[in-house]
Amino acid sequence: MSEKIVFKTEADMPLLPMSLDTTLYNKTGSWRYVRPIYRDKTPPCNQACPAGEDIVAYLRLVDKGEYEQARQRILEENPFPGVCGRVCGHPCESECNRAQLGGAIAIHAMERFLADLPLERKLLTPEPTAPAGAKVAVIGSGPAGLSCAYQLARRGYHVTVFEALPVAGGMMRVGIPSYRLPREVLDAEIAAIAALGVEIRTGMRLGENFSWEHLNAYGAVFLAVGQHRSRKLNVPGEDAQGVLPGLDFLRQVNLGQKVKVGPQVAVIGGGNTAMDAARSALRLGADVTVLYRRSRKEMPAISEEIEEAEQEGVRLEYLSAPVEILTARKKVTGLRCVRMRLGEPDESGRRRPEPIAGSEYTIEDVDTVIPALGQEADLSFLDKGVRTRGDMIVTNEAGTTSRQALFAGGDAATGFGTVAHAIGSGKRAALAIDKFLRGEALDDFPPLTEHVHAAPRDVDPTVVHFEDLNLAYFTEEERTPQPQRAVSERIKDFGEVNLGFAEKDALCEAERCFSCGTCNQCDTCWLYCPDVCILRVDHEGYEVNYDYCKGCGVCVEECPRDAISMEEELKWRK
Amino acid sequence: MEKVIMGNHAVSYGIQLARAQVIAAYPITPQTQIVEMLSEFCADGLLDAKFIKVESEHSAMAATVGASFAGARACTATSSHGLALMHEVLHWAAGSRLPIVMANVNRAMGPGWSVWTEQTDSLAQRDTGWLQFYCETNQEVLDTVIQAFKIAETIFLPIMVVLDAFVLSHTQEPVDIPDQATVDSFLPPYEAKFRLQPGDPRAFGGLLAPDHYMEMRYKMQRAMEEAVAVTSQVGAEFGKVFGRSYDVVEKYRMDDAEIVLVTCSSITSTSRVVVDELRTKGEKVGLLKMRLFRPFPFAAVQEALAGAKKVAVVDRNISFGHGGIFAAEIKSALYGGAHHPLIFPFIIGLGGRDVTPQSIRNIVSYTQEHDKPGEDIIWMEVKR
Repeated sequence: MSEKIVFKTEADMPLLPMSLDTTLYNKTGSWRYVRPIYRDKTPPCNQACPAGEDIVAYLRLVDKGEYEQARQRILEENPFPGVCGRVCGHPCESECNRAQLGGAIAIHAMERFLADLPLERKLLTPEPTAPAGAKVAVIGSGPAGLSCAYQLARRGYHVTVFEALPVAGGMMRVGIPSYRLPREVLDAEIAAIAALGVEIRTGMRLGENFSWEHLNAYGAVFLAVGQHRSRKLNVPGEDAQGVLPGLDFLRQVNLGQKVKVGPQVAVIGGGNTAMDAARSALRLGADVTVLYRRSRKEMPAISEEIEEAEQEGVRLEYLSAPVEILTARKKVTGLRCVRMRLGEPDESGRRRPEPIAGSEYTIEDVDTVIPALGQEADLSFLDKGVRTRGDMIVTNEAGTTSRQALFAGGDAATGFGTVAHAIGSGKRAALAIDKFLRGEALDDFPPLTEHVHAAPRDVDPTVVHFEDLNLAYFTEEERTPQPQRAVSERIKDFGEVNLGFAEKDALCEAERCFSCGTCNQCDTCWLYCPDVCILRVDHEGYEVNYDYCKGCGVCVEECPRDAISMEEELKWRK
Repeated sequence: MEKVIMGNHAVSYGIQLARAQVIAAYPITPQTQIVEMLSEFCADGLLDAKFIKVESEHSAMAATVGASFAGARACTATSSHGLALMHEVLHWAAGSRLPIVMANVNRAMGPGWSVWTEQTDSLAQRDTGWLQFYCETNQEVLDTVIQAFKIAETIFLPIMVVLDAFVLSHTQEPVDIPDQATVDSFLPPYEAKFRLQPGDPRAFGGLLAPDHYMEMRYKMQRAMEEAVAVTSQVGAEFGKVFGRSYDVVEKYRMDDAEIVLVTCSSITSTSRVVVDELRTKGEKVGLLKMRLFRPFPFAAVQEALAGAKKVAVVDRNISFGHGGIFAAEIKSALYGGAHHPLIFPFIIGLGGRDVTPQSIRNIVSYTQEHDKPGEDIIWMEVKR
């Protein structure tokens, strides 16, 4: 406290009522009972990403023009941005808060933009953690297997991937058509993983080309064999010539084998395999109808895929299910179908389809029937003692099976059925195997429905919702569409449909991002603090000077993106 | 460079030439073009100032006060109800001794709703500690804005530059716009005596107990008293640099005048015409133009009216329950002096009703024909 100043006359006094000395002695922070704390929260996109990408972080880096750093943020979690930027169903966009003000950020197109940058990829390697000479075997070279191999190799493990097919990539290679995922994109991303020292041995089917005993040489084994068998229709006539299970059809097309379909093709099902099969058949010159037993709303396929299929001329027939494949001389000639209606919701939450009695009808002149009702794993190769439930390998949260040192993931263990989930699952297994081989306990893994991070992330798990944002700072801005080839052109071949973002599109989308829960140094708090006690720190963030912060909360209220929290004094946590 | 411009733009040019650094304003008829043009100046890079849009006049003055505290040359403009809304902050500006300049376009207060000229809005703010200048022409508006910054930054009190709604604000007149270099030589950059700054925090406008409050008010009054002489000096210096001199009042054809018209604002121009006309007829009529209202130029008024027999004060304003405000002030200025002319207190032209040469002739005739004013208020041209 300053000394009391006594003025003898007005001439001694200042021009206006003001303190003659600094007021710094008056630590107004002592008045505070709540304190603002900078703490990034979880944006809904990050929460929704099955591969565990830090989407907001890389959008912010794009906004600053730091493309390579942005790509590194993806590559820390996912070695397949070129694949995911094209084929992922982008659950991140479904949760994006921007959706309510001009449309969700085109996150998948941003990921693809970064993946396609004509810059040499520098795959960051964290501090090696592998014990000397540690070897891991991965069974299956799909997204789960290669994601696991990638994360382990980065940490110094010697990894060998065994692939049953003659080519690596799993479903990315044999399930997804090249008009969605050009082969060179996939080849390059697999090659980058191999370049880390991962050995990929194709044509090696466990139980046929090599034995379980062979695996004893490895400290740990990760099973990621996927689901490569189509479920059956279970109707009469399914064995006839002209019935081609969806995954078999796609595998043949994608491996460049000659496949004859049509001229009239009926695809049965409403998922991504059904869409891929329908659009592939269309490109082979067929006239294609998709039959789905529910309505459009319940279709599990990515909605853009459905729209694009329709644009290309695929007919969609809803609320219809085949009851018999009509044949003549063991060849398909038509379909006997029944009309369905939607009843009460089933365990999946979707309304259960029920046949309408007496509504059967016939579709004449069908040459090829492609059932695409989902897929299952062929687990016949499994050693005894590995627990399964149905067609899935049973694991816990860390991916461990009932057998010591044997881990499992991907569709064969989780059944999520997407590339992004498989990548997340492979990463989870890699983190678990790393811990296992270093003799650490395998606890702390989140439930399989949540994701894991390879790079540590110090954020509050609270998810920021639209109502948590300060909408005074945001206006409606239209989502940037990704250019596509014209329909009339693209149906002629298997060339890529989507053409990707130009730099200006990417910058536009990065600028639209709210950066939910994530401080982007917008200076709003700094400007608004009435006590000048928010300090900029090296353009990387802010600090609160708690000596003077009165806890008024203006910074918290004004923060456009909910990146500051208010905590009661004595109860706050770092 | 001579340009034909409206009074509002004369304000804008004056502020531009004064190199104001912060402008915070809210639009109101008839002031709007002032800030419109200033915002364009800022947007086009013709004025390197921060233009702050605000949601009310209270905030406009608050932001101007903040900017001035931070050491910026800050200004704003308003009118009528906008000025009334600022009232509280006007005290803050003056009590904080901030050299803010504000243009006020005189507009009658509602209700009844009016956008036309009348002085009651600004005169109602006479006790806030602001200097008040009333302008006769668009040229005087521009010149006074530039002088106002210099005077305010000398005595550390805020200044209101007042112009008539429409008669000046929206009327085009030829105005000489001085060149920037000359204005710069006349008006150097503002050097704040005290500043709000994060590195050296001080408490401003804090609690002032009875043992100090009165001294602060004493110092403000002393500054006001000093401002009279400063205004004369700055007006004379302006004349040397720009060829147009100004003072606290102007005497027009006052030699041997027996009847003196006391006017301000654009009514002065009209009155000049009538005085010229009457002088050619040999009538001893003169004119005293009041330019400075606060601080009130007692000595200049006493000196000017020393030889007058009758003084006709033309008030375009009213203090309800009292009368014309200039008349009351003139009476007060002459009280206790050696010479006591008869004061004829006219009220005319409220709510922007035109004051024509004939109106002024009628005022002079009334004054000539009556030995005494007869009434406390002589209402002109009221339908009754």
